[in-house]
Amino acid sequence: MSLMPFASSRPLSLGVELELQLLSCNDYNLVSSAPDVLRRIAKREHPGEIKPEMTRSMIEINTSVQQEYGGLIEELHALRDVVSEAGRFLNVAIAGGGTHPFQHWSEQKIFDAPRFHYLSELYGYLAKQFTIFGQHVHIGCPGPDEALHLMHMLSRYIPHFIALSASSPFVQGHDTGFASARLNSVFSFPLSGRAPFVLRWEDFERFFSKMTATGVVESMKDFYWDIRPKPEFGTIEVRVCDTPLTVEVAAAIACYIQAMSRYIMVEQRTPPEEDDYLVYTFNRFQACRFGLEGVFIDPRTHEQRSIREDITDMLARIVDHARELHAVEAMERVREILIAGNGTSWLRKTYAREHNLGDVMQLQAELWMGS
Amino acid sequence: MTWSDYLPAWPLEISPALWLALTLVVAVLVGEAFMRHLKLPRIVGYIGVGLLLGPGGLGLLPQLPATEWRLVIDLALGILLFELGSKVNLRWLKANRWIAGTSLLEATATFAAVFSLLIWFGVDGATATVVATIMIVTSPAIVVRTITESRAQGQVTDRLLLMTALNCIYAVVFHKLAVAAMHGAAGTSFIHTALQPLYLIGGSALLAWLFGMTFERIHHYLGHHEETFSFILFGMIAFATILASILKLSPILVLLAAGLITRYRRQRPRTFPPHFGSAGAVLVVLMFIANGLAADLSGLRHSFLLVLLLISVRAMAKVLAVLSLAHQSGLSLRQGVALGVALMPMSSVALLLTLETGMAFPAFGSGPGLALMSCIVILELLGPILVQVALQRAGEMPENKPENKS
Repeated sequence: MSLMPFASSRPLSLGVELELQLLSCNDYNLVSSAPDVLRRIAKREHPGEIKPEMTRSMIEINTSVQQEYGGLIEELHALRDVVSEAGRFLNVAIAGGGTHPFQHWSEQKIFDAPRFHYLSELYGYLAKQFTIFGQHVHIGCPGPDEALHLMHMLSRYIPHFIALSASSPFVQGHDTGFASARLNSVFSFPLSGRAPFVLRWEDFERFFSKMTATGVVESMKDFYWDIRPKPEFGTIEVRVCDTPLTVEVAAAIACYIQAMSRYIMVEQRTPPEEDDYLVYTFNRFQACRFGLEGVFIDPRTHEQRSIREDITDMLARIVDHARELHAVEAMERVREILIAGNGTSWLRKTYAREHNLGDVMQLQAELWMGS
Repeated sequence: MTWSDYLPAWPLEISPALWLALTLVVAVLVGEAFMRHLKLPRIVGYIGVGLLLGPGGLGLLPQLPATEWRLVIDLALGILLFELGSKVNLRWLKANRWIAGTSLLEATATFAAVFSLLIWFGVDGATATVVATIMIVTSPAIVVRTITESRAQGQVTDRLLLMTALNCIYAVVFHKLAVAAMHGAAGTSFIHTALQPLYLIGGSALLAWLFGMTFERIHHYLGHHEETFSFILFGMIAFATILASILKLSPILVLLAAGLITRYRRQRPRTFPPHFGSAGAVLVVLMFIANGLAADLSGLRHSFLLVLLLISVRAMAKVLAVLSLAHQSGLSLRQGVALGVALMPMSSVALLLTLETGMAFPAFGSGPGLALMSCIVILELLGPILVQVALQRAGEMPENKPENKS
């Protein structure tokens, strides 16, 4: 099977996918209510898409193709309201966050669809452990080579996205010490990590057909890369973010990626190099483990600083691009995260106050549902 | 010194408590065997053993002193009712009015169906009213116990808990009113006819409210140590149950309302160990054995057809009522059937109401009361199985084997 041709999309258009947790209002554990929620939503008019996910305690909301922050946040609000209304109607709370703090993976039930059953059989307990919740951001690219270029350039800044969105410190009832423990679950998949260093689409197609010939993969969906091209949309898809605790933060991070992409496309003409990836896993680990306090090593200058400092620096560099994209408000929100902390620090603070993960989860759901 | 100073006298004087302890061991073993080999809920075994060994069956167990048993039943039921109340989120009724509608329709339909059937069988109006109100109730004991044991979770489970709590309240309140009406018909003066249910319902509500307030104070003071807290709660439940019976209030209403009030006021759910620890769990098992012991199937001999019809019309009323509003309330057809079926069980609450009526009106106990007793026994044995199958079909049981835990 060969790769489908790279569709054309408007450069710098963007789309957001958010995986959400469904919780029982009785104990704020995950509840397998996706079929009920989706049945309820099927009757409602709403923008974008609302879809099932691997296990029945999650759903995914997708925005349509957007151009800028204003439209994006409006649509995310609309999607949030539809989903929250359905949740209240069914005594199901809905929350953001990258992991559920005390769910037990073996209690999760696989959503009844052929692909999910196939994956569940292939990956075994990994599939159920994959009950984690991420934000995916699509950025439109003018062509396939531009997409590969953008993908490799953005790879350097993966720690920014991880640290800003991090909201999964708790797993199976304990504080893992990680800012984003969710990504540790992703890394256990055989095809996770980064895309191969190829800069031309023909080379990428060649790589892809060699991989399919080995029988290891069938489609792009089988790669669990941190960033991957999505030929049918004509986009690249950044997949490292935890689902933030609010849609506002989700929109802000998406627009931060968008503004950075514009900076890369328009201003920063230095080509990516294979050696940029020498520090890749180190930087990514620092972001997962320590969040904004993590160490960031610049792949070119080898200079070390905190991820927070590097984001501050980046915000200054992309300020004109953000203005061009009407994303000034989004950049303000990113700056707020640098000062007030990400989702993980909110969760830790709340837990220190409440002493009970069930109560934390309830407050987290109230925050997301906007009630 | 003689033999008799240190050897027991012959024949041995065996206290009823010894038999009781032995029965507990046997019942738990049988319950376990039911679960492992037949995949049936354990409580079927508990009730079955009581029924088999008790006066209604082989008669191996002597009649046990009623007051002691009554205390066990009251305490265990108090625990289960408080547990039920504290699992129910009343705010849900505001967000989804169709559930409130379903509950009212289900209770009204059950009442109407049973009442008309009894009238058709020539039972007088007042008696028919009492029986029909009792048949509204779904057994909180069986529902809570089966859900705890199976760790079921989902729409049908949540609604089953909510609707059970509600129909229990309707049944107790209307039963008091119906009994008052019977007293009125029997010539009691109006003032007592009217004041008795008023005292009972108002007093129970007040006691429940006080319980809720105290609960919150203690919880605030003790903080988050859940084990200590569940001990205290156990004591509070026992205290409230006994106080309610001393004051001639309804322990059922008090404990259920107390659970609902604490959950409603706290807004945050709290998870406690099942039945608030192992002492509570033992009481619950004893209660089911006692229900089996008290089982009386003699009504079947005279009114087999009536019993069969009572069970059938009640089942039809509940299933059809739930189904008719399933779509609007956000349930699929399958879930609607499951919820309707899961509302079938009858047990302790119905039993206590029947016994109470029988004590006030001996004619009731020997007439329609007997048929009602048979219904209760049958639905007590079948109930747990129906709930289990319904929740399984609705896909709300854990997929891995439930016997590993709970």
